[in-house]
Amino acid sequence: MSLLIADEITKTYSATGWFRKQTPEGKGVREISFTLEEGSCLGILGESGAGKSTLGRIVLGLLPPDSGTLTFRGIDLYRSGRSERKQWRRDIQVVFQDSYSAMNPRMTVQDIVAEPLRNYERKSSKEERSAVAELLELVGLGADDMTKRPKQMSGGQLQRVNIARAIALKPKLIVLDEPVSSMDMIIQKQILDHLKELKEKIGTAYLFISHDISAVQYFADRVAILDRGTLEVRESFDPFT
Amino acid sequence: MKDRHKAFANLLVRRRWMLYLSLSVLLAVVVCGIFAPYLAPHDPSFVDFSHKLESPSWDYPLGTDQLGRCLFSRLLYGTRVSLGLALLIVVACLLSGLLIGCLSGYSGGWIDHAVMRVCDAVLAFPSLILAISLIAVWGAGWKQMAIALVIVQTVYYARFVRGLVINLKQQTYVTAARVCGTNPVRILMRHIVPNMLPPLLVVVTLEIGWVIMDISALSFIGLGIQAPTAEWGAMINEGKSFIRSHPRLMIAPGAMIFVMVALLNLVSDAFGENKGFGSPLRRKSKST
Repeated sequence: MSLLIADEITKTYSATGWFRKQTPEGKGVREISFTLEEGSCLGILGESGAGKSTLGRIVLGLLPPDSGTLTFRGIDLYRSGRSERKQWRRDIQVVFQDSYSAMNPRMTVQDIVAEPLRNYERKSSKEERSAVAELLELVGLGADDMTKRPKQMSGGQLQRVNIARAIALKPKLIVLDEPVSSMDMIIQKQILDHLKELKEKIGTAYLFISHDISAVQYFADRVAILDRGTLEVRESFDPFT
Repeated sequence: MKDRHKAFANLLVRRRWMLYLSLSVLLAVVVCGIFAPYLAPHDPSFVDFSHKLESPSWDYPLGTDQLGRCLFSRLLYGTRVSLGLALLIVVACLLSGLLIGCLSGYSGGWIDHAVMRVCDAVLAFPSLILAISLIAVWGAGWKQMAIALVIVQTVYYARFVRGLVINLKQQTYVTAARVCGTNPVRILMRHIVPNMLPPLLVVVTLEIGWVIMDISALSFIGLGIQAPTAEWGAMINEGKSFIRSHPRLMIAPGAMIFVMVALLNLVSDAFGENKGFGSPLRRKSKST
């Protein structure tokens, strides 16, 4: 069975205020269907405004779609009970594009990476420290970065911290919402290689959302193209057709 | 270009200087209030008709009032009442405002609507008039006054906090916290409230000044602090019959109120202009 099945998902942003004008169609996503296998990577390619981030938020369980169902490991995300929700909430994690704003500027790296652990696992502070150190090592950072604050780190390092937080709970699925778009080519490649390595190690599936054709081609197993809200899945992908 | 930079730097330095001066004077007044029993030359409520309405002397630094009480000692003790009560009221308002504002702003939907309509209803009345009418129902006294002021002021805090919460709720790190399973209470405590402290600090310092004025105003018309207790507003009230013959009875407490409120305004201003406070809200507006 597939890890994630999206079936005819539609979400449009129509203004519903009394005095607001109707917004033009085209925002949001329409009747999107795709499947994602366990441990694989689906690339979603689309230009800006195509509904990429909307799709990401829906898959993360943050934005109820107008219609359609999203099934994660046999559970309907938006019609699930409390205990089921607790389970899938743990299994779907995210890495956002803007690595700096994705972290509370007042917290240290240790607090940031340990946050998911604190929510789901009872650990002594010693165990937590070693768990965080291990995670930082996995993403190529040192244990001495633990006491730093987001302001003291570079964009590439911050994105690594974000990744460390995302993999802390060993999720089944990570939504990568343009994770490397704001970085230069060398850092992009480093981070993508790291993500690939992590996929092998912990068997996570990725939903890789990007506008960068070469990055998607390099990273994804399968590619789907999102164009003005509709999705077209392609088994093989040639950028020139 | 260089000159302009210099002027800007000067301004900053002057601002800092002003902040430190205001803060130290405020602190000095607070310390005087705390140590009033040791600093005051006389008992503030000791009536001595043989010394009534005396001019300032070594024994009575600011002279005496119509009952022969030492004006300077009364001012010192009045600091305790005015500042202490103002602080108490502001803290109570802040706590209840935070609670209501966070609940309203974070949950949104009909809860938000309901809370905000109640706030609108309270805001429709001028705050001092509403406080007076509440005291009229409960009777005069400092406790009633404090409760009335807290009720009236809380609404402003709740509104302000709600706005900040709604803004901070949109931050990516809040979404990230939701995704990694942090519950709403934790999100509010760890991610939202700490990040709105800088703008709240600005409002709170300003508000302490306002509350001092409100307390004085209510005491002046006899609804707040009652007669034998030394309080600046009540002292102005008692001194008003002697405005022609002995204006210092009104001027001294009036000057204290003026100075305190002015200082608190200056401090609040300096806080508001200080960029080093790291408020995400302010940083956003500065960069654009």
